[in-house]
Amino acid sequence: MQYCTACQKAIASIVIMDLNGGAVTGSQHLCGPCAEQLGVGQPKAPTKFSAEILEDLLGGLKSSRPATSRPRAEACPGCGMTPTEFRTKGRLGCPRCYDVFRHELMPLLARIHESQSHRGRLPGRTSTAPVVTDEKNLADLRRRLEEAVRGERYEEAARLRDDLRRAERGEGARP
Amino acid sequence: MSKSNRGDGGRGDKMPEFRPGTWLQGNGPESDIAICTRARLARNLQGFHFSPCLPDDEARELYDFIVQRLKQSGMPEQLHLLDLDNIDDLERTVLVERHLISRELAGSTRARGVATDTEEAVAIMINEEDHLRVQVFASGLQTEAVWRRAERLDDALIQRLPMAWSEEFGFLTSCPTNTGTGLRLSVMLHLPGLVWSDEIEKATNTAQKIHLAVRGLYGEGSRALGDFYQVSNQVTLGRDETQIQSDVFLAVGRIVQWEREVRQALLRGTARSRTLDRIYRALGTLERAQILSSEEALGCLSALRFGIEEDLLPGFTIPNVNRALLLSQPGHLQRFTRERLQPDERDQRRAHLLREVLGCSR
Repeated sequence: MQYCTACQKAIASIVIMDLNGGAVTGSQHLCGPCAEQLGVGQPKAPTKFSAEILEDLLGGLKSSRPATSRPRAEACPGCGMTPTEFRTKGRLGCPRCYDVFRHELMPLLARIHESQSHRGRLPGRTSTAPVVTDEKNLADLRRRLEEAVRGERYEEAARLRDDLRRAERGEGARP
Repeated sequence: MSKSNRGDGGRGDKMPEFRPGTWLQGNGPESDIAICTRARLARNLQGFHFSPCLPDDEARELYDFIVQRLKQSGMPEQLHLLDLDNIDDLERTVLVERHLISRELAGSTRARGVATDTEEAVAIMINEEDHLRVQVFASGLQTEAVWRRAERLDDALIQRLPMAWSEEFGFLTSCPTNTGTGLRLSVMLHLPGLVWSDEIEKATNTAQKIHLAVRGLYGEGSRALGDFYQVSNQVTLGRDETQIQSDVFLAVGRIVQWEREVRQALLRGTARSRTLDRIYRALGTLERAQILSSEEALGCLSALRFGIEEDLLPGFTIPNVNRALLLSQPGHLQRFTRERLQPDERDQRRAHLLREVLGCSR
């Protein structure tokens, strides 16, 4: 039994797994209402959310598309932290805040660390992956990502987005 | 004045609870200047709110869950868990002064605790600003050793607990200043040479330019009582652990070298008599003062430490100065005397106790 990683209150009934070559590389547990709200776990994603999901997916790809200026007035669905609270406290309330406050967070990280992405160990990965930078590969990933988003294949799109981010950082494919 | 050269086998045996932990052992590489190295990892668990949004009942649930997982066999360290609700505020202050827990953790009202080993080389704080704050200490300048030990511990924790992380941001922490590796490597330095020759500001500015934070170990704000400083990496994101370790090691090595050169300059030519005067005045105060605030005590002990390291004060030992540093802190002082003391009473007791510990009572 696991709680929903989004609302952290209900029991999760849907598991979304990131797969790479048959290996599970990440997972998200959601309850029915959160899955619906996020446009996943339903046979057809509500069209109302498609544009938002597309923006979220592309939000981090600064080099392939300029950042959007969608106003972010909502509280974090994971913990209820509001943008004002985040700005005054300078603290995040849950893992989802990293996505919800992304627009405020990125310049902050750049100022503190002069970097916006992680290098170093992660669970299951102790060393930095070999560097592979290939413009053709980047272009291919971008094309596949756009196709996946157009086809509303969000799980695939999320994976491609992560691959593209890594490739743009010159970190090669997911080990 | 009597000068007894007491090492670890002296008075310390009568008060084993006041044996300095790993961070004040006074050995290890460069330990004349680099007192101790600490690695700290910030970790949070998936499925629980971060500290700013964590309700008390969820904090209790989280605490129980972590404790249960820490008890599973196969941990690389023998840890003893201390529930901070089960001890009084004086005991908590003692733990703060021993650097095993933060002042914030001591003052929190949530379910919280610390898991430590008997050597006080490892301390895992539970329910601090992050769900877990893993700390590893080693005496002297040992950035690689503390990081390796922390890494082994982290591996074991990752096997037992579902950590919050992402490919993009690394380990997710409550404060963006810790995001990524969550690794803060600090070295506690004793820098009387740089302070007395007014070079400390220059050293601090140089360190800051290469993204190292420098702050006083004792005292508030920019005031560094007793000339004790803490130098640590500011960047946790975009550099891996090995790079961070190497950055801190190289930079601290340069500061240590700088301090040695300045000390030599302070003991040459016209500067020498001023330096000696300062050291012997401090000694005079420690020998004769009847009332000693912790601020003044730290200043005198710093001068004494400088004198001992430069072979100017035969008969005094660094282990005794370290013990005196610890016992001059309010928590240790009151626990040692087994009395709750008002600040002015503490100052009197401190003056007497330090004389005893240093072996200069008559």
